[in-house]
Amino acid sequence: MPNSPLRIIATKDIRDALRDHFILIVTVFLSLAALSALVTGAIALRTDVATFEAAKASLLALGKSADQIKSPEFYPLRLLRGAVEQIEIIGAAIGIMIGFRAAVSERGRQTLLLVLTRPVARWQFLAGKAVAGLIMIAVGLGLVLVALAVVLHLVSGIGLGWDDITRLALVWGMAVTYVSCFFLLSFFLALHQSQAAHALLLGFAVWLTLVLIAPQIGDTLDPDNQVAGGVFKQLHIAKPDQMEIMKGFASYETLRSGIEAASITKHFERFSFAVLGIKDTYTGMPLGPILTEKSTDLIWIFLTALGLGSLLLAIPLNPTKLAKE
Amino acid sequence: MTQIPPVHRLIALQSCRFILRERTASVLGAMFVVLVMISAWLGWSATDTTNRIYLDAAVFLKAAGQTVPTNPVLDISPLSLMRNMAVYVSLIGVLAAIVIGNRLVASERKAGVLPLYGARPIERSAFAMGKLLALGLSVGVLAAIAGVVGFVTFLLLPNVPVSPQQWLQFGGFFVLSAVYLLLFGALAMGCAAMAQSESVGLLIPVTLWLAVTFILPQITANLNPTAAINPVAALADAPHTAYFQWVGWALAPISVADCYKFGAARFLDMAQAPASGFYMVWLGVVAVAAMAFARHALTNIDMTNGGFDA
Repeated sequence: MPNSPLRIIATKDIRDALRDHFILIVTVFLSLAALSALVTGAIALRTDVATFEAAKASLLALGKSADQIKSPEFYPLRLLRGAVEQIEIIGAAIGIMIGFRAAVSERGRQTLLLVLTRPVARWQFLAGKAVAGLIMIAVGLGLVLVALAVVLHLVSGIGLGWDDITRLALVWGMAVTYVSCFFLLSFFLALHQSQAAHALLLGFAVWLTLVLIAPQIGDTLDPDNQVAGGVFKQLHIAKPDQMEIMKGFASYETLRSGIEAASITKHFERFSFAVLGIKDTYTGMPLGPILTEKSTDLIWIFLTALGLGSLLLAIPLNPTKLAKE
Repeated sequence: MTQIPPVHRLIALQSCRFILRERTASVLGAMFVVLVMISAWLGWSATDTTNRIYLDAAVFLKAAGQTVPTNPVLDISPLSLMRNMAVYVSLIGVLAAIVIGNRLVASERKAGVLPLYGARPIERSAFAMGKLLALGLSVGVLAAIAGVVGFVTFLLLPNVPVSPQQWLQFGGFFVLSAVYLLLFGALAMGCAAMAQSESVGLLIPVTLWLAVTFILPQITANLNPTAAINPVAALADAPHTAYFQWVGWALAPISVADCYKFGAARFLDMAQAPASGFYMVWLGVVAVAAMAFARHALTNIDMTNGGFDA
């Protein structure tokens, strides 16, 4: 169907976003945030390496063995930690802006009623807008991850293998689904709220709660985050003994983990950190077992996107209400 | 004969009444107050759990015949129980201030009432002064409510003695928070007055807030975004390299989130960051500059139309 209404609406929305440079501006903004995280992480790592080399040289000069100091481990993909966090925070905010823009472009210009007087089913109108948004998110995030891969290759001096590229592609797919959830939420709100500005603010309130507050509560309730350096480190208690002690705080940990798990952001983070080997326990682990273990996070994100997409198509649109503010 | 209050005061009072009725601003304000209460519980609960972990660990270490170090919780000041409050001020508090600043101007532009102001013998400066006064009162009330909630929480929490000096510091923290909120509220107000479209007027201050909260700490101190909103991790030193030293120095004038973070840490006994006094003064200077920007935008607003393009 080369000229189906869905395709025409999607193409028109993408053209609009390209014409006023909106999509370019948000992609550049996210790229700068993600790249600055990668570059500063690489600079900090080089400092660690230089410190290690200096300490090693001093020990060798004193005729001692260098085995007593731990060498910094280098896994290129682990440098993407800051970039993943920027995508989960700023990417989600951009998803809200794209969704809001998709709805408000018709509301502001009073063209919604005009569009619907044409032989266009309401689901086609909504699906066309949604497809345009999803394409823009996918392309934007694709460009961000390609830029990250190129810079990572340059700063690490180690070529990325197929395994690394597969892992990056998986994170891209999950990032697109994650950001799409916020896009669909904002698009839905902007189509159903009587005032567009209220919809934007409501979208940001949800973003604040899910992206920042819920994970932050979980993070700050972590007993190991209460004392600088960590309580167990201060008490010089080894990892197996820590786990033994924490058995007595199982319900506290369940509550903390429950608050974190209520946030889709935490699921995206857990999945990405595992796939990229950012979390120590997954570093160097093959993809298969990681995907099996992280399937819950994957399903959670996909179901959220699917649920929001279904809601968008299921709730009837009231064009008369939207034509006037 | 009753005396008519000055015009700027009338505008401020009317604007404050409007903000109280404005649903979104009220919802965000209420969310902020609820989170302030939650932050107090979080601080107390997490510290209490850490203390219990220490007691269990002490038994464990004694049984293993090892030396038991001193309890790290004893080094924590009662004020630092409120450490999450600084994070919530910089997140939802700022968002509420941006919404208040935006709504105080955008709603009048959208409703088309600016030509009515223009038809009256009202000085532009009085209009600007009235709006800024309304913003100051709104964020002041928000900070004061948060302060009262924090004060009551301290009185209710068991075994948390607070000295008179610490009460003063606690008050200082809310003054600093009010200044930080005022900065972003004024910025949003200026943007709402100057922007051609309502959405752009809101998105510019939100984007700037995102940049100073999540991007600048990454560039200046290699602080990842989630660490930037963790009250303990956010105070970590920047890596000791020439790059971070120079970038930190060059971007310091616009790193207002860091100014607030270090100032709040000093008031809440969490850390004695070097030059935190300077950071606080600088935050005040930037807030004054933001108010000057808002005043300039409001005095130059077009009173013959003033509405948004779309």
